[in-house]
Amino acid sequence: MTGIATDVATGYYVAGSSWLHRRHPLTKLLGVLFVVVAVFLLPPAVSLPLLAALLAGIAIAAGLARSLLRSLRIPSVLVLSIVVVNALFFPGGRDVLLGVGPLSITREGLTFGLVSASRLLVVFVASVLFLFTTLADDLLETLVARGVSHRIAFVVLTAVQLIPRMQHRATGILAAQQARGLSLGGSLGRRIRTLVPLVGPVLLASLVDVRERTLALEARGFGARPGRTAYRVVPDSGLDRALRMALVIAIVAVIVVAITGVVR
Amino acid sequence: MSERTQVVRVQGLTIRYPGRRAPALQDVSLTVAHGERLGIAGRTGAGKSTLALAVAGFIPRIVRAAVAGHVLLDGTDAIVAAPGVLLGRVGIVFSSPSNQLSGSRLTVRAELAFGLENLGIPSSEMDGRIDVVTERLGIGHLAEREPSSLSGGEQQRVAMASIVTMGPGILVLDEPAAELDPNGAAAVAALLDDLAAAGTTILHAEHDPVALGRYDRVVILEAGRIVPAMSSSPAVEPLAWTVGPGRAGASVTIEHVSHRYPNGIEALRDVSLRIGTGEAVAIVGANGSGKTTLVKQLNGLLRPTSGRVLLDDVSTDGTPVDRLAATVGFAFQDPGDQLFERSVEREVSFGPRQLGRVGPQASALVQAALAMTGLTGERELNPYDLDRSRRKLVALAGVLAMDPAVLVLDEPTTGQDRDGVERVGLIVRAMQTAGRTVIAITHDIAFASRWFDRVVVMDEGRLEDHRPPAA
Repeated sequence: MTGIATDVATGYYVAGSSWLHRRHPLTKLLGVLFVVVAVFLLPPAVSLPLLAALLAGIAIAAGLARSLLRSLRIPSVLVLSIVVVNALFFPGGRDVLLGVGPLSITREGLTFGLVSASRLLVVFVASVLFLFTTLADDLLETLVARGVSHRIAFVVLTAVQLIPRMQHRATGILAAQQARGLSLGGSLGRRIRTLVPLVGPVLLASLVDVRERTLALEARGFGARPGRTAYRVVPDSGLDRALRMALVIAIVAVIVVAITGVVR
Repeated sequence: MSERTQVVRVQGLTIRYPGRRAPALQDVSLTVAHGERLGIAGRTGAGKSTLALAVAGFIPRIVRAAVAGHVLLDGTDAIVAAPGVLLGRVGIVFSSPSNQLSGSRLTVRAELAFGLENLGIPSSEMDGRIDVVTERLGIGHLAEREPSSLSGGEQQRVAMASIVTMGPGILVLDEPAAELDPNGAAAVAALLDDLAAAGTTILHAEHDPVALGRYDRVVILEAGRIVPAMSSSPAVEPLAWTVGPGRAGASVTIEHVSHRYPNGIEALRDVSLRIGTGEAVAIVGANGSGKTTLVKQLNGLLRPTSGRVLLDDVSTDGTPVDRLAATVGFAFQDPGDQLFERSVEREVSFGPRQLGRVGPQASALVQAALAMTGLTGERELNPYDLDRSRRKLVALAGVLAMDPAVLVLDEPTTGQDRDGVERVGLIVRAMQTAGRTVIAITHDIAFASRWFDRVVVMDEGRLEDHRPPAA
């Protein structure tokens, strides 16, 4: 099938050779972990703007600003609904900012909603930057080389490739349906009615895919015995090692600060 | 022959898959000596794949099933062997390329290195081993290509190479040639000759005992048992397509069509071809020569980069795929790309429903399509409960039920046993007799010359017999 979706092997990878692209997968993984820890454990008024600015800077430096902005469509509905629902229905809300009929927006609710949504967004952005600049295969090799069990490495790889694979499947099934007379035009309602029946077959096909890939990996002896070698070594630099050290210290520091309550 | 040199001993093997009443294998015993080539023949559903999986150590550890009996490989029982014990000793190649590649590697070379890494081969030795096998299989030029960008037949050779590079002493092949063009099949056959000469034990399952290369011995499976000879099959009666509203086929004109994929690969180069109404034309050519790309231009799944396609002398430019579907019925090469309904009957009636055909006329079309493909008895089943060759027939039925003026078939015979190939041929004949235009891609030259009026050859994106004569 020449030319169709070469996107499964590459996943979300955006080809490039930026500073972030060249970092070792483990360094970036620790970076994501640091963001998650900091965003939830440090006071939001300080951590959120700082982390957002840091991630924005990294994205721009890596030439990924445009791809990142496009990806923000994915969590937009969830983020918006978190803000709206909390603003209106936050249980502890007393300070009413605006009354709209039977509903009222409270200061506490709005604050809580904005903080929760921002946390989610920051973690999303960090994860997306990781996926944009890391080849699934490099991640797999790194995990296995670090002694992560093959089973877990396979699950991680499958998870990273799941959405691209499902997109690939959905595109294929949609083409097949069009080839049998399905019209994709028309009203929004009609489009939704077109897409809903796709969910079942796409999920089923994805499960079949995973099963078949298990056979493929088994036939090639993945995880069958220790002492695995690597054809292509994922480059790791002194800078990466230093960064990882710094990130581990930072993660520990954040946790200590959060537990001892030095910053409040 | 002494006990010591018998490397594969299958003893009283019975295998039953969960939820199935009949066992897939029943009390099968056989012995294959060191360096022997055993052919395993049998129809679809006879148990060939189950036997192959069992010998390769996949049952019951990976593929769940109830097992009685033993599969001894140099004395190790593959049924109970721990993972890793059989690694490097036995390798298996399946029939469909899609499920044999890791899906994470960016080049064919890295894909082939994957198995060597798992064996713990030093990285300095990998390129040497990879180069030897890719050259023998004629895919050396593909080494730096991305596996997912290759054609089905090319991927199948990569899959073959991925196992052979690991150097197993026992090689199990489950219809490895189904997707291969004649050159690919010849390269695989030559490689198997070399491997056998070097002492590799080969168990090779095929529908047809003469499908590929030579055998020292052939066993025949039928309904899960070894039988002395293949029973003669009930002849498929000639088929007729009489339910359509009696409309004629359409002519197809391809004018100077070129197609370049976004990744820069030029799959079609100035192709011109005229196919008359009611004509049956087979397009043959090597894997990766642009055949699928060409026929996808006919119903708009792909559009020409330059040139144009005309149906009954009207350009298809600007007509969406779903409108062209009323005229051009397209059966995909991989049924997995096409099937999405929960029963065979619903799947087959999807097309007529979309075209707005309802009532007795639509129902007659669906029933006729099921009858033509021999699937009337399976109408209630989920397509995924059928094996791959039957799924392909479901996909074909889904297209027939739309009563297309032009029927386009992408490799309709791959994975079909002899009866299945005969049936597809009779369907081609029936549609043509009913006035329809039939275009098929195939690498099966015998099938092409038997059932089609004209055979055209594609080579590297060009139609060979449309080249200007040499000056």
